[in-house]
Amino acid sequence: MSETLEQTRTRANGVGAAALRKEDDRLLRGDGRFTDDVDPAHALHMAIGRCPFPHARILEIDVSAAAELEGVQQILVGAEVAQRTEPISVLRPVPGAPQLPYYALAGEVCVYEGQPVVSVVATSRAVAEDAIELIDIDYDPLPHVSDVLEALADDAPVLHPLQLSSNLLATNPQGNGDPDAVMAAAHIVVSDRFRINRVTGLPMEPRAIVAHWRPGARELTAHVSTQVPHLVRMQLAESLRLDEGDVRVITSDVGGGFGLKLGVYPEDVLACLHAIDLRRPVKWTEDRLEHFRATTHAREAVHDFAIGADADGRITAMTNTYTTDLGGQNSPFGSAQLSSIVFTGPYRVDDGFVQRRVALTNKTPVGAYRGYGQPEVNFARELLMDRLARRLGIDPLELRMRNMLAQEDLPWRNPAGALYDSGDYRLALQMVADAVDYDALRAAGRERPDGRRVGIGLTSFVERTGYASAKFLANRGSRYGAHESVTLRANRSGGIDLFTGVSSMGQSSETAFAQICSQVHGIAFDAIRVHAGDTGATPLNTGAFASRTLIAAAGAVSAAATELRDKTLRIAAHRLELDDVDGLEVDGDAVVVQGDPSRRIPLAELHMAAIIGQGIPVDEHPGLEATAHFEPEHAAYAFGSAAAVVAVDPETGDFEIERFVLVHDCGTMVNPTLVDGQVRGALAQGFGAALSEELRYDADTGQLVNGSMLDYFVPTAADLPPIELHHTEVPSPFTTFGVRGVGEIGTIPPGAAIANAVCDALADFDVQISRLPVTPELVWRELQQARNRSETP
Amino acid sequence: MEDLIEITVTVNGRAVHERVPARMHAADFLRGQLGLTGTHVGCEQGVCGMCTVLLDGEAVKSCLLLAPQLDGHEVATVESLAPDEGLAPLQQAFKEAHALQCGFCTPGFLMTATALARSGRTLSRDDIREELTGVLCRCTGYENIVTAVDRHINGEHVDV
Repeated sequence: MSETLEQTRTRANGVGAAALRKEDDRLLRGDGRFTDDVDPAHALHMAIGRCPFPHARILEIDVSAAAELEGVQQILVGAEVAQRTEPISVLRPVPGAPQLPYYALAGEVCVYEGQPVVSVVATSRAVAEDAIELIDIDYDPLPHVSDVLEALADDAPVLHPLQLSSNLLATNPQGNGDPDAVMAAAHIVVSDRFRINRVTGLPMEPRAIVAHWRPGARELTAHVSTQVPHLVRMQLAESLRLDEGDVRVITSDVGGGFGLKLGVYPEDVLACLHAIDLRRPVKWTEDRLEHFRATTHAREAVHDFAIGADADGRITAMTNTYTTDLGGQNSPFGSAQLSSIVFTGPYRVDDGFVQRRVALTNKTPVGAYRGYGQPEVNFARELLMDRLARRLGIDPLELRMRNMLAQEDLPWRNPAGALYDSGDYRLALQMVADAVDYDALRAAGRERPDGRRVGIGLTSFVERTGYASAKFLANRGSRYGAHESVTLRANRSGGIDLFTGVSSMGQSSETAFAQICSQVHGIAFDAIRVHAGDTGATPLNTGAFASRTLIAAAGAVSAAATELRDKTLRIAAHRLELDDVDGLEVDGDAVVVQGDPSRRIPLAELHMAAIIGQGIPVDEHPGLEATAHFEPEHAAYAFGSAAAVVAVDPETGDFEIERFVLVHDCGTMVNPTLVDGQVRGALAQGFGAALSEELRYDADTGQLVNGSMLDYFVPTAADLPPIELHHTEVPSPFTTFGVRGVGEIGTIPPGAAIANAVCDALADFDVQISRLPVTPELVWRELQQARNRSETP
Repeated sequence: MEDLIEITVTVNGRAVHERVPARMHAADFLRGQLGLTGTHVGCEQGVCGMCTVLLDGEAVKSCLLLAPQLDGHEVATVESLAPDEGLAPLQQAFKEAHALQCGFCTPGFLMTATALARSGRTLSRDDIREELTGVLCRCTGYENIVTAVDRHINGEHVDV
């Protein structure tokens, strides 16, 4: 499906306009409604007791003292939860993996520090937490394994011996051609092992739920901070053995998701279970120490990557075997699945092989996080591209240009099966080179008068945004589709109510959807009211993740707006006693006759006529409402290139990022201000993961050693380098208006660009970096190693 | 039940008399007892800055104060900023600069910036960056927040 933007009329706040956001006023005035702001009368409060060991058998749980504490209403342990609920369903199973069912509370064995073991509901949060302290749990600590590769060793303790004989959950190979033979025949092969750090998305709003059950109505109402209210509804119904019709999930404002709020967590099931038993609202808001242990982590992986090339630097083969860390058990999305699909990047590679292995370790479960495998694989491939260039004596810019797919090569299918849609990859890279004045920087040399060395680091990438069709997802066992849906309903004030299951978590979907609706329908942007995230009011949809919302929703909003507009025009033609709608259009707050501004009918009048069925054509039904679903037939591949200019002190390893330039394409921009906002925000997370963020586990104890905001360093306002953004705007042929997703791309380039820049600056010392994050300490250590290497004959 | 402590505190210009548990922190008091849910709670460790309010005109993290410590003091929350309709100039600057996305951190930045603006200090863009480090944002990358505060304090003419 390819539909180009109707350019017949430029709307004030239509597609392409820098419209101010619909979401802002309530958030600026302190009138947002986040889940913890929901405070029903007679609410009870839940607290969770968590396993303090990475791996332990539960011998005995004694709740007697806690049960006697004044204010305690109910205590649940694992045995009862396993009896009364179904395991939490996995939304995106690992292909080829056996079921690894898990319940809201641990059964006999805990597999990670922070795993919920007991839940208490009391009259206040404080009393519930006091009760947790009074519960006596006798644990028998078991041997644990933290490292992702050690977990696959023969002597590693097996986490799930009933289902698996080792900690390898699955192996997923993909490829094309004969990469082994081509690699063996290559003029040169560069290869290395790259370690990607375990990080977390750290949304500022913790997870939260408020659940309420009315037994007579058989209605469970759950306010949940989630990116996917309709999927949470399905998962809660399944786990609680309710019909979906019994469950209503309401998600108002979400204080950041980034992939971490994708689906049901154990605490959601527990709060509902307590609410059903107690017939009173039950509220739980995660505290930040819990968040670091109980909300999904991300990224940790080990990539073995190899590139073969001829003497001219033309890539002949790429191979990548990597192991992702799933943690102790499943989560609804599991560890990153997108490294494979983009492993060859924007380069022409005919013979390629990629293989994903999923390992279990005694750490917090891993889930989706902005980028979902793409920053990881980009780091490995792009560092090797620079090493290949250095080995062959070819400039890294030239090497990339030489191998990059040309505009006319697209659409093109890469060895992993990804269909790159359109784009001018080389132009983006050239724009980066021009913006940093690449040739002049190179000519100026690496040495600075102050002794520091200057390096330039490049990286080029493609990014999958959205999903290919539901058929593609079905082949992978996914329990959700690729579509979005929207309902538009005219109201009697002359406005349109827009209903969407996409919750608002900062991605500005309310604004973007209203811009598209205004563009297609003609109604004023301000007359559109968006209602988001209530499963009782919105059409069943998929949700806000995988940079997929706009790709699918643009089509749905466009189709519904067309249907609503056309009926509105037919009613207007009838009332104006015209034969047909030719020459009529919606203009802001009225239908007007083009060329005759005196002939107009206010939308309020037309909406009222349609709603009450008076004064409409005889063959029209009353009502003015349209619901549309749209599923793109392919994913869209965003792309770009970036450069970092870094000055490094070769004595201390300290470095400063002096410039960072990104050229990026997300197809047609619905709102350029919002695009830049998304890119900058994701870049900040990319810089955090590249420079300072790492969840570290003590190898001996298996404990998370930096699980608090005091110890886990996300960037502050003073920590980010100067960032320059440029765009190309090549429409995707596969989506409505030619849009591509935009929310995640910024996470991809920082790690590779910075590491390449540091290595370039220290080229005289032959420093190599093979892990993240890149800290001054790491650079200093690599300098020492390089010196030792050069001194050893 | 827990012992309650009586406090009198001026919140957003109005005197309130309340009885609070001794261990309740000020952010929970503002949110749970007074219904001022614009003040958010993000870490309860004084790091993230979501709960920043003005105490006697100074920006403080209300999760690090106990509610009884508010007795006799003046507190201003994000709800005090806007007129009945529309937005205050600082809020409008945030909107026009696209300085918020999910909006969870926004009250913390607004109250920090309110105190900064009232200080009358001359602040460069880099000074503003430093002053804002007490509040974390995971959505915006900060640049637009710095721009909004810069424009509010120094006017539109300043380089962006």
